Order: sequence, then C-alpha cells, then structure tokens
Amino acid sequence: MRTSWNDHDWQLIHDAPQAPVLHMALDEALTDAVAGGRRPPTLRIWEWAAPAVVIGRFQSLRNEVDSDAAQRHGIEVVRRISGGGAMFIEPGNTITYSLYAPVSLVEGLTFQESYALMDAWVLEALGQLGIRAWYQPLNDITSDAGKIGGAAQTRRGGAVLHHVTMAYDIDAAKMLQVLRIGREKLSDKGTQSAAKRVDPLRSQTGLPREAVIARMVDTFRRLHGLADDRLHDDELAHAQKLVRDKFGTAPWLADVP
Amino acid sequence: MHGEYKMPGGKLVVIDLEARDGHLAHVQLSGDFFLEPDQALHAINRAPDGLSVDLGENALADTVRGALPTGTQMYGISPEAVAMAVRRALLAEAR
Repeated sequence: MRTSWNDHDWQLIHDAPQAPVLHMALDEALTDAVAGGRRPPTLRIWEWAAPAVVIGRFQSLRNEVDSDAAQRHGIEVVRRISGGGAMFIEPGNTITYSLYAPVSLVEGLTFQESYALMDAWVLEALGQLGIRAWYQPLNDITSDAGKIGGAAQTRRGGAVLHHVTMAYDIDAAKMLQVLRIGREKLSDKGTQSAAKRVDPLRSQTGLPREAVIARMVDTFRRLHGLADDRLHDDELAHAQKLVRDKFGTAPWLADVP
Repeated sequence: MHGEYKMPGGKLVVIDLEARDGHLAHVQLSGDFFLEPDQALHAINRAPDGLSVDLGENALADTVRGALPTGTQMYGISPEAVAMAVRRALLAEAR
C-alpha cells in the first residue's frame, strides 16, 4: 500500500565532511538499513572532505573522465550505485543530499512522478529563496537562469534511494578539464555550452551555502517532520567495510571501463 | 568502434564494440541512463555477441529486449536506443 510522507518518522543526518568514496558506501549502507527496517526513513545532507568526480552506475570511466587531469587537480574519481550522469564536486561548491525511503512512498508512481515527488520539498524551499525552480524530466532541477542540479534514484530491496547534487558554486573551467562532455549529449539541448547549462545557487540566491541548506532543512521539517539523528557506529563500520570490499576497489570503479 | 545516441526525451546511450569476421564482439553499453537491476547491463552487453554486423535495427532491438532479466526497468534508455547506438558504432567505422 502506498504511504505518504507523514506516515514516516523522518530522521536527519548532517555529519562532518567525509571522503567521497565513503559517501558512495554510506548511500548503499543506509539504503539497505532502511530496506531492512533497521533505520527509519532518513534525509542525509552531505559534506565533502575532498574534491571528486562522481560517475553514474552505468557510465564509462574513460569516456567520462580525463583521469590524468583529475589526478593533476587532486580529484578523486568514484562510481555511485545509481544511474545518471557525472558530477564534478569541490567542497563548499555543491549541496548534496540523499533520501532513504521505503518504496511504499513511491509505489504506483511512474519514474517521472517519483522524482518530482521526492524533490517537491526542495522546490518549495528554493521558491522561498526567490528561485522559481521546476523539474525538467527526466532528472534535472532547473530554473529560468539555468540548470541547478540533477537527481538519481535506485531501488534496493524495499527501499528507494533518491539523491541530488545541486551546484552552489562552480569552477566550470576546471570541470570541463576533468569531465569529457560530448556533443551528442547536448544535441537536444540547443546550442548552449556545457558550462552555460549550469547556473549555481550562489548567483541565484546571493546567500551563503549554509543558509540555503538551513532553509531546505527547515522546509522539510515543517512539511514532513524531521528528528535530528546521527550516523550510528554500526552503520559507519558497515560503510567502511563496503569501501574496502567494493567502492574503493578498481573492479568497481572500472566495472564499465 | 564507438557509437552514441541521445534518445529523444531520454538519456545518452553509448556503445563500444568490435567487429570480427562480420560478427559483433565485446559489446559494451554505457551512458547516463537508469537501469534496474544493474546486472541487466551485463545481460545487454552479452546479447549481441556473435550476431552479424548486417543485422537490422529491429532485430537487434528484439535481441536486446529478449535478453533482459525479468522485471527489468529502463528509464531514459530502450532496446531500440541500444540498437541505434550499435548501428552508429558500425557506421562510424564504415566511414
């Protein structure tokens, strides 16, 4: 049976900065914890300890990333468990969050509807900050000024992971050195350059990153309820094991070479 | 050989492959699409192996569709889009 947001006892995790590869593992560990009933549905706000390129589950490592450039800039390349496109991350430049929810929250919805549902609270928060943002199917959050962010979902067992990275600020020149963004991908998006496609939240709000996050958290709390929680020791241990066994290994990173 | 196809209203579908004695080999699908379960990727990669490079798009798409694990869900990708990317990879080589 389908559930609504308020049927769940939502928890907030907003911990200290963590390594990119640990973030990949935490998404799997926490999705499985919700699927197994060991953790209530949770909103996690990410803080990044290092710059990273995060590629989608099905993206080709060599087609998407200039590994030499990434190494030269000290950028860690990691692969996440959801599909979608590559993201270029520098600490303080993005706002990234994950929702871990029972699939009952999106039961019977099309993919398109479930993406829109999971981010309705964010669009409302952005609206309060003066940004008229909307969902651009399949998985972009955008405004009149340009693309703000991208979402990705994956389902594991009885849980759905929905995570989003929004650009707060961006070094577009560095991004284009590290990511190989092909012409075919832009073919149905007009003649805009890849750099111009993204217009970050800093220029659109004029607010500090922390203020944007605070408004998002307040909005979620008001709409759906939200209790402050933290990462539990066993969850961190599980994620660290996943880093050793999977996310930190070459076979996973190059699973799609 | 390398072919890319941006599915209208969908995502980028990329194929890297080899042709050996007129047959498809080492087909590798990639892109920014969504596919569940994720093992379906490897099933799709294996499906065209050994097929004739002259096989038409419809037959290619049918082969891909038939190889999908039960319950596979695709978002931003389709068997037809995979077939189109395969054809483009082969055409790129022919030029």
